[in-house]
Amino acid sequence: MPKRKQHNQRRCGREASDWWSCSGIFMSDVDGVSVKAAGCRQVVDKRMMMFIATRDLKFAKGRFLLMGSVVALVAFLVITLSGLSAGLVKANISALMALPATHIAFEGTDHPGYRNTMIERYMWEGWAEQDGVKAMEPLGHTVFNARTEDGKPLELALWGLVENSIIAPLLSRGDNFGGEVENGVIISRGMLEKGVDIGDLIILDRVLTELRVVGVTDEHRAIGHLPIVYAPLAKWQEATYGPPGGPPPGEKLPDIIFDFVSIIVLQLEEGVDTAALDEELETTTLDRLGFYAASIGYESEVQSVQMIQSLLFVISAVVIGAFFSIWTIQRTKEIGLVKALGASNTYVLKDALGQALTVIVAGTLIGLLGTLWFNEQVKDTELPFMLESQTIITSIIMLLMAGFIGAAMSIRRVSKVDPIIALGRDQ
Amino acid sequence: MSLKVENVSLIFGDGNEQVRALDHVSMDLQHGQLMAVLGPSGAGKSSLLAVCGGLQTPSSGRIWIGETEITGVSRSALTRIRQQQVGFVFQQSNLLSSLTSIDQLLLLVHMRGKRPGKADRERAMSLLDEVGMSHRLDRRPSELSGGERQRVGIARAFMMNPSLLLVDEPTSMLDQQRGRQIVELLVRECHDHNVATLMVTHDQGILETADRVVDISDGQLGERT
Repeated sequence: MPKRKQHNQRRCGREASDWWSCSGIFMSDVDGVSVKAAGCRQVVDKRMMMFIATRDLKFAKGRFLLMGSVVALVAFLVITLSGLSAGLVKANISALMALPATHIAFEGTDHPGYRNTMIERYMWEGWAEQDGVKAMEPLGHTVFNARTEDGKPLELALWGLVENSIIAPLLSRGDNFGGEVENGVIISRGMLEKGVDIGDLIILDRVLTELRVVGVTDEHRAIGHLPIVYAPLAKWQEATYGPPGGPPPGEKLPDIIFDFVSIIVLQLEEGVDTAALDEELETTTLDRLGFYAASIGYESEVQSVQMIQSLLFVISAVVIGAFFSIWTIQRTKEIGLVKALGASNTYVLKDALGQALTVIVAGTLIGLLGTLWFNEQVKDTELPFMLESQTIITSIIMLLMAGFIGAAMSIRRVSKVDPIIALGRDQ
Repeated sequence: MSLKVENVSLIFGDGNEQVRALDHVSMDLQHGQLMAVLGPSGAGKSSLLAVCGGLQTPSSGRIWIGETEITGVSRSALTRIRQQQVGFVFQQSNLLSSLTSIDQLLLLVHMRGKRPGKADRERAMSLLDEVGMSHRLDRRPSELSGGERQRVGIARAFMMNPSLLLVDEPTSMLDQQRGRQIVELLVRECHDHNVATLMVTHDQGILETADRVVDISDGQLGERT
């Protein structure tokens, strides 16, 4: 074939391509990805981002697997810690979270807490008379060590509820208290998990008050990691303020003990001046975030887990950044070559960032799968662990951002590589 | 005219430390012509390639590739010019370690923002066939000999139909026999593709194969007759 004809045929490569583009059929390109040609306009897949990066990933499998494993482990840790954090919150304040309340009033103090508050009758009756109070209910709260009839030790939070309480739990089985059984109580799921069930007797240590389980709620209701046992308010007042073993035979408890509870659960309209009412009624009123934080250990637990999570985000950013930094330095000569061949900064940056993103996303997804597996293993145990979609999404977004920032910081040096190094020169 | 260099100087440093890598160099090169630039190390050979390929901006003077003046344009414009008009063959073949032979060529198509298609693949295969590498299409550089790598580098240089080919010491890493084969291949490809080729070398054995030979010394060109 004459040289000129050969040359023309080579130049016709573009024309051949045009013909192919015009054929209007699906064809498989060199990467095995279908590209649809419609009319004379080739519809190019917009996902076509990387060329060198995908081949690097295949070529240096070991290095990228190692890095992907590190990302996966960090993702596993971050999401697991998020689950642990949510689990801790649930174990600490699930009973408070379930309260139909906007505020809780404690005894007037600078440091309100559930264990050191005593509300007198005039306080809750005073709150009941105020404008803007949609609902109000006195609530008793005391932590007890206790035993079952067969001597199994228990630790519980006894809540005393008024009749027809808005706080009353939804029964899963059994009866409500106030029926035939004089000392009947309702237990929450935490007690069930400890082997206590309907018909069992719970004997409170020290005061020796006996409580018979008549109902069960399947809901997790706990405060300070202790399961709630719901009792009638009078029974709670007897157990909390009465003498050990109950009143002496033939006597009844003094009326004054029935004038005290622990807190007042409030549903307030917006704009109620709680500070002024606190002043008047000698209470300290906290909104929802405030009364969560008043639970012992809640803030410190959440802060500890959040601090570890934050550190993990930083660690992931640094580790990913360090890896891609070394990777970029190792590839400096090749980056210079690609630029000398006509690649723009945008092209090499897209390629490098796409590669980083692939590793980070793949590692994160593997970490997520690991966490979901872990969740399956621990879901029926006592480990305070709870995975929610919001927790997962937040953790993944944070991790991806941290990883991407780390990678971007190291990859930006790609744009500074001078193509002159392709000729063997220093930059 | 495919390459025109007019009174170009390239100066590094300043004051007493000043080094004149190119000193008022002027030359031109026609389509399909291969010009060999001979000179010892440090004579300014690589500097000449760097300024002609838009990898370095000369301190003074003007350069045209085809009708396009490349002096005084932005870096991004230079990148585009390199992409569209210049082919490089480097000293050490300079292939990307993770890419197979055919991918080395298809990369240039991708760099132009196009997903390499069937026609591109066919063209790449045809070019690799021309340089005797059709049996090594799916091999990475680590699986190729020095001469084979250089052949892939040559095929890559022709992939985008450049109007100017810049060749940097193509035989320096090869033994005499393989070096000879590579140069013959380059000359053939340059003529077949009608591409103006500027080849810098210190290999005197190239003289008989080049269309024109110029010497470079202390940054100055002198044509041999």
